Amino acid sequence: MSTGLLSFVDMAGCSARYGRSTVLEACSFSVKHGERWAVLGPNGAGKSTLVKMVAGLLPAADGIVSVNGKPVVNMRAVERAKIMAYVPQKPDGVIPYSVRDYLMLGRYAHRGLLRAPSRQDRDAVAAAVAICDIEHITTRLMYTLSGGELQRVLLAGAIAQETPLLILDEPTSFLDPAHERFFFDALGRLHESREVTLIMVTHDINSALFRCSHILALRDRQTLFCGTAAEFTAECPGILNRLFSTAFATYRHHENGAMVFGAWGGEGYP
Amino acid sequence: MGRGGVSLTRKTVVVAGCFAAAIIAMVFSPGIGLQTITLHDLLSDEQARFIFTTLRLPRMVTAFFAGGCLAVCGLIYQAIFRNPLADPFTLGISSGASLGAALCILGGISGTVAGMSFITAGAFAGALAAMAVIYVFALSNESDSATILLAGVVVTTVCSGAIMFIHVIGGVHKSYQILRWLMGAVDGVAAQNAVMMIVPLLALLTVAVLFMPQLDLLSTGDTLAHSRGINIRNAKLLFISITTVMIATTVSVCGPIGFIGIIAPHACRMMLPGTRHRLLALCSFLTGGTFLIITDTIARSVAPPSEIPVGIITSLCGGPFFLIVLYRLKRRLLL
Repeated sequence: MSTGLLSFVDMAGCSARYGRSTVLEACSFSVKHGERWAVLGPNGAGKSTLVKMVAGLLPAADGIVSVNGKPVVNMRAVERAKIMAYVPQKPDGVIPYSVRDYLMLGRYAHRGLLRAPSRQDRDAVAAAVAICDIEHITTRLMYTLSGGELQRVLLAGAIAQETPLLILDEPTSFLDPAHERFFFDALGRLHESREVTLIMVTHDINSALFRCSHILALRDRQTLFCGTAAEFTAECPGILNRLFSTAFATYRHHENGAMVFGAWGGEGYP
Repeated sequence: MGRGGVSLTRKTVVVAGCFAAAIIAMVFSPGIGLQTITLHDLLSDEQARFIFTTLRLPRMVTAFFAGGCLAVCGLIYQAIFRNPLADPFTLGISSGASLGAALCILGGISGTVAGMSFITAGAFAGALAAMAVIYVFALSNESDSATILLAGVVVTTVCSGAIMFIHVIGGVHKSYQILRWLMGAVDGVAAQNAVMMIVPLLALLTVAVLFMPQLDLLSTGDTLAHSRGINIRNAKLLFISITTVMIATTVSVCGPIGFIGIIAPHACRMMLPGTRHRLLALCSFLTGGTFLIITDTIARSVAPPSEIPVGIITSLCGGPFFLIVLYRLKRRLLL
């Protein structure tokens, strides 16, 4: 395991418990600057718990999560928000602002209580709008947006925060294939425009293998795989069968021959 | 309702309207009552001047600040609990204050403590106690806003039961005294009491307005607010502490005046959808203050020489408004 000076996010022997039930056991992994990690695994494996611990939303029962060598739990809220931003699966409820106002709220850690938006704040919001392709909806109220638009705005809010680390917790779960693609395209543009480290929980195995550099696979609250996407692909579909306890089949794209994995065929299916 | 945010022009018009309404109410209210006082009376009549300066002016100022603060507290509760029905009344704080006052009246304790009457002090303590219960629920991570409002309902019910019990054992005289207090009123507030109430309220309002960017973020939900750099626990603690003292102060002086915390913020949100909290707080304060000045003027004018407690009028107006809010909520149009 690399725990050298270069590592950015370090999770060392972390466990999490809700009441008396353990939801994650002794998980360790290490992320370097610029890496894009996908966290894969079946429902209830502890994926969301893991990213919530990194984001400082949930304290670890054992072990330490540190970012830039400093434990996340010891960080002040504003200091933490300058390093990492979190995008949830969906918001907690109705967000009562226009899209533009919401994006400007993403600048809180930089602005504080009294400072009016500076040129830098406006530039950050404009960049986020361009990356997420939401120019046409900036004057709309958040609660009038469709699910696909809302997720792109949530991503834009995190991008406007200008953090080197972005944590995404199943951001595309409720999106149709086209909007899922728009979302991932936005992430691609972000990646081209600046160096961002990404930790993303997802159920979309093929997108993860296509777009991420590293994979962390969790099963039954424990780490099943931790390494590069290429290493993971080399073990597919066997490792997917073990991960999800169901048979996966391999398909090839009819033009470029890229491998795609799916549990919707093969063994046990007509 | 449109899908877009509001324009700068609309914001300007609404704010100017709120200021204009407040000024008009302030100019005309002190002249209206059992005895109508005109500008001419004020200059020539000694008695009219006495009524104007020692009775009506302090009363109007008290009404304005009490209404304004209750409105801002309602706005803050709706944001931190993320529930449009949260206000000092629905959270049980007013009931706590009422029980505190009723206990003091029952005990027959008179005299003063720290410059305020024991009944006022009892109401203050009761409000703090009720808020302590809500507080425990609000700071636990597992409670959603429905749980917190339900806790408020329980506090209200328990306090009402206790007050009825006090009515029964207190005898006719004390029972009437309690009843009068429960109806809420801004009459008989002397100038120095008005000042004693306004100074802490202004200080707390200033702090609340200073921290309103945190309120903007809290109203987007705990997860997102956390990610943007808010310490959720500290921020909620701060806002709950400020509002608790504000409400305890207001209610202990004026009695439980209902529904302003619902009416004013929602009226402002309907006029300015998608607006940040500093502007909403300004409009809510002006609207709430104006509303209480007007209802208080009605209270002393409809059936002279007797006065209807202003709490009755705000409840009569507020109840139906509350139902409208509830109905619009059902259609997911509000907030």
